[in-house]
Amino acid sequence: MSSITYPAGAAETKTTATRTGTLPFYIYAVVFASFSIVVGLVWDISWHMSIGRDGLFSPPHLATYLGAVTAGLFSGYHVLRLTFAGHAGEKQESIRFWRFFYGSLGALFCIWGAFTMITSAPFDDWWHSTFGLDVQILSPPHTVLLLGMITIQFGAMVSVMALQNRTGGSANFNKQTLSWCFTLSSGFLLVMLFTIASEYLGRQSMHASGFYVVSAMLFPLFMVAVSKASATRWGATYMALVYMVFMAIMVWVLPLFPAEPKLGPVQNHITHYQSFNFPLLLLFPALAIDLFNQRLNGLSLLKALLISIAFVFILFAVQWPFGSFLTTTYARNWFFGTTSWYFGSDPNHKYRYAFAPNAVSSAGDMVKGLGIAIAIGTISSWLGLVWGSWMKSVKR
Amino acid sequence: MKKIFLSVGLLICLCINAWAHVGSPGVTFEGGAGPYKLIANINPPDVIPGTAAVTVYLEGAAKGTHVSARPVYWYAGADGTPKADVAEPSTTERGRFDIKVWLMSTGTSSIELAITGPQGKGTVVVPVMAVSTAKRTMPASLGWGLFAMAVFLVILMVTIISSSVSDSQLNPTEQLTKRLRRRRVTGAFGAVVVLGLILWGGYSWWNAAAASYNKYLYRPLQASTTLNNQNGLLKFTIDTAQLNELSRSRRGNLTRKMNYLVPDHGKLMHMFLVKADALDVFAHLHPRRADSVTFVTQIPNLPAGKYWIYADITRLSGFAETIIDTLSIPETIYRQASNPSQLSRIADKDDTYFITNPINNKNFTRPSVNAVMCGAPGVETKLQDGTSAVWVQRPGQDLKAGQLTELTFEMLDENRKPAKLEPYLGMMAHAVILKDDGSVYIHLHPSGSYSMGSQKALLDRMAFHQPLDKYLPAPQVFADSVNRMVASLDAMNEGERNQLLMAGMKHGNAGSNEHSAHQISFPYTFPQPGKYRIWVQTKRNGKILNSAFDADVK
Repeated sequence: MSSITYPAGAAETKTTATRTGTLPFYIYAVVFASFSIVVGLVWDISWHMSIGRDGLFSPPHLATYLGAVTAGLFSGYHVLRLTFAGHAGEKQESIRFWRFFYGSLGALFCIWGAFTMITSAPFDDWWHSTFGLDVQILSPPHTVLLLGMITIQFGAMVSVMALQNRTGGSANFNKQTLSWCFTLSSGFLLVMLFTIASEYLGRQSMHASGFYVVSAMLFPLFMVAVSKASATRWGATYMALVYMVFMAIMVWVLPLFPAEPKLGPVQNHITHYQSFNFPLLLLFPALAIDLFNQRLNGLSLLKALLISIAFVFILFAVQWPFGSFLTTTYARNWFFGTTSWYFGSDPNHKYRYAFAPNAVSSAGDMVKGLGIAIAIGTISSWLGLVWGSWMKSVKR
Repeated sequence: MKKIFLSVGLLICLCINAWAHVGSPGVTFEGGAGPYKLIANINPPDVIPGTAAVTVYLEGAAKGTHVSARPVYWYAGADGTPKADVAEPSTTERGRFDIKVWLMSTGTSSIELAITGPQGKGTVVVPVMAVSTAKRTMPASLGWGLFAMAVFLVILMVTIISSSVSDSQLNPTEQLTKRLRRRRVTGAFGAVVVLGLILWGGYSWWNAAAASYNKYLYRPLQASTTLNNQNGLLKFTIDTAQLNELSRSRRGNLTRKMNYLVPDHGKLMHMFLVKADALDVFAHLHPRRADSVTFVTQIPNLPAGKYWIYADITRLSGFAETIIDTLSIPETIYRQASNPSQLSRIADKDDTYFITNPINNKNFTRPSVNAVMCGAPGVETKLQDGTSAVWVQRPGQDLKAGQLTELTFEMLDENRKPAKLEPYLGMMAHAVILKDDGSVYIHLHPSGSYSMGSQKALLDRMAFHQPLDKYLPAPQVFADSVNRMVASLDAMNEGERNQLLMAGMKHGNAGSNEHSAHQISFPYTFPQPGKYRIWVQTKRNGKILNSAFDADVK
């Protein structure tokens, strides 16, 4: 991550940019909020795999709330300051809404996300008292919470993008810092997406066609959009790198801390945190996405099809053998963390280090599945291109 | 969002009559845990997963005494149970400890209490049935609050989306054009459509989740009771078609298998017949199993009228429940047995019934060999054999709903000396408490309101350190061996049988203390205010002693 290269045009302006304005502190706050949210989320999953039960104020939840509060407060302050204390120039650069308020699109996304997260709390509390203290990731109130989180993360990205895209006015921000902020916020968003779909994206699903279909549905949409919107030539690649480094660090760090199950039945008597998944090797398809975006302009379906084919084949080429590798004894170490196992599951489970027969697609099914993945990936990529060009257009 | 509109109104909590205790979900335990004497009061959650509120009162708790609790599930056994949590000692009440215990899955569970202190360690297992029984709607204030937030969030998101395709695309110095204004409106309309679809999807999902919860909600077993007017033969048929699943998992549903019935106090079923509304007739019968769902017995000479039936059963999983039905006994019932020898084999030697005054009528003149007057707190009542029964209750002390109460009774002989009581079905006493409208029913013992059959089932399971699959016997083989065991218990003489039945109850026989054998006390928490009748059954000189008391709970 130490070297970010810039397109030729950007490199020329670099000297002037470094000289000019530093980023508003608000931008750092929302990027940090996005980070805090994903730390809380991945930690929470680890918590449920290792300890099982939690309360409203468990440490991972606090990390998530910190993100919500940071994003909400800084964005809220940003809007109120602009409305009541902003000078005419600042107001001119902002969006006006409800005939009275001034703000930025990113701040509005963050505010919406924070309010949504707050709304989910009493809803979730009622849900628990009515249908039980669920420990599932996806329930209606949890989805409201996740929607809030994603929106905050997206808001962080939009806040950065707006400064990155604008010209004129007070547009001369430090391009390198902006680029870092964009890369980090997009990478954190990718962590969130992976986590939501992780039920279908685990190491034991890597030989099933469903893995590639879900990946093709989800990843190109965001990765193509980010690749397109990024000020650098390698937006998707950096996004994938941030995702991979973040996920890997969580695999390495969490198991250092003690944890023991507090819910029965306990089949796997553990003493330390069980880590979440080792990252997918998204770096490789991301490189292809960036290369296509560098070489082909426009938003054509043909371009989307080519990106989808490249995405699906490269993902298959790296993830299928990597899935096999993750079942071997070579992966049962701190680095890959495949020994990690839910406390409620039998540690001697037959398929702990093997693919269950129903999770392996036959050659025919795999070919069919990859075909479906390419079709879905084409739509996903095309939407990504459209969305990316919109992201490129946001300036306030 | 429609749900929120629908929920306008007060919070309604409908608690379905649940399992072994009808309308009385709390579990009390009084007895020993190793060297310690304690009373435990457990309030299980009415929604699973949820938390049970456990309160322990320790007698003479010394400094440095710790109480901890953990949930032990029958299907998981002791080895699959997490480490216990430590209870908080009360700062105001000496010897009181409180703790919340998480019950995550449906099925038979138990709270294992462990006490450590200067006298060493003691443990006790109190069975708890973990089932969802509550159907809640949303309180109006929360419904409107969430609705207001939803409207605000929809408006804000429409604003964001309309702006995202219009003025947010302008450079700092540019002005809004006509084209962008049009896009703002189009964007707003598009946003309304998309958000509407998302909300509709969420609403459908919410409904599906509620339907799934309702599917696995505990529903009491239903039964039909028929009476043969020619010979007084009662047939109680359990309707297994009503037996709904309690969870998605196979092991969760094993809990209620009908072939896994086990005897409690030596009997497969304890059936109580109480005359409806007046509560003036009480019978405790023990029907025999004809097949896995059919139970038969011959009713004694009960007066005609409508009766409420409460039938208690316990399973190998420890899952105990009460099946409710009603029965009309006609005036003209012909009890001249066509084959007396066959009928005497069907009636159980431990069956008993008696008649009292109606619950709201103290003027009781019915002459009957089986009739007694109901006692009240502090008032002595004469029983059929000359024994006096007294409800030992401090004068002026109110009985309060929701408060743990010791119901203490004293039996005095003809000379007003402590009567020497004998065990009835292996226990020093049995009691049945019923609310005047029949909505609260409980069968309890001096050691509390938990099922002893369940406790034994859980202790057996915990002693077996293997997964459930290795523990479970073949259903039919098991049912046959249980039938043989019950028959052999019935054939034993009283002393032999009591010895065997009491041997299985190592945990907490508070009433078996020699010195207080004439005094029996039942720990109980009345769930709601109202008029209750308490029937107390014990044994003296080889005869079952029946007494009844009326309670007014505030």
